[in-house]
Amino acid sequence: MKRFILAFIAAYIFLFVWGWLFNGVLLKDVYAETPNLWRSQSEMASLFHWIIIGQALVVFSFVMIYASGFAGGGISAGIRLGLLLEIAAIGMRLGFYALQPIPGKLILYGSIGGVIEMIIVGAMVGAIYKPASPRTS
Amino acid sequence: MNWKKFFFAFIAAFIFLFVFGFLWYATLMHDAHREVPTLLRPEADLKSYFGWLALGQFVMAFFFTLLCTRYVPGGRAGAGAMLGLLVGLVYAGPHLISFAVQPLTFKILCGWIAGAVIQFTIAGAIVGAIYKPAAEQIMNVKERPR
Repeated sequence: MKRFILAFIAAYIFLFVWGWLFNGVLLKDVYAETPNLWRSQSEMASLFHWIIIGQALVVFSFVMIYASGFAGGGISAGIRLGLLLEIAAIGMRLGFYALQPIPGKLILYGSIGGVIEMIIVGAMVGAIYKPASPRTS
Repeated sequence: MNWKKFFFAFIAAFIFLFVFGFLWYATLMHDAHREVPTLLRPEADLKSYFGWLALGQFVMAFFFTLLCTRYVPGGRAGAGAMLGLLVGLVYAGPHLISFAVQPLTFKILCGWIAGAVIQFTIAGAIVGAIYKPAAEQIMNVKERPR
């Protein structure tokens, strides 16, 4: 349980900082090209808690999947899980691209960023979380 | 890996994801989506983007099936559903983030989250029920020294 919490906190901090750097700084100008698709800055600030809850849900579910099906595989198993989840998520992004007038380059950059993000999250969780060793009498 | 069973499981997952997506998002949530017309492509444009939607579902089904076979190598509907539930929650997170940054309604947010959780739970159960490892793999596991 201690390892689970540590893995969750470490991955959450990374996801939060990465999300801000990637979307809030690096892609700021790309988002600015389609202002009608986004809330105003003040609105986003008032709904900021949803971002925190959303990121926490992603990390919590990720660590749960790792702990219940991949634990013991170490960093490589964590990276594999991150990649599988992210490539499936790229499929979801393509679906959103078909339905929403989001620029193609935003889908492309978002997918590249997502792959990097989930590889690092997977590596962190794989490195930190270790299954409890069986008790010997 | 039992590729024959994998293929059947993938096709079943793809068909399910596609049909569920159409029923849930395009039919049940149609009116809710029309409340935010600026966030959606005009209906006339949707046909020309249908290929992207199909490709997206194909990629999602393939890698979700691959994930299920790694997570539940022995197959089982219950274990597949459990994984599907967790995957649904992983994908519900970005919906919450989208709600904070895009002018979506709360009704759409709830619909998307419920849709993701139900869709992946059932898809996981389907893959878990269909996928079984090859007989020789089971033998190898049984014969492994303790």
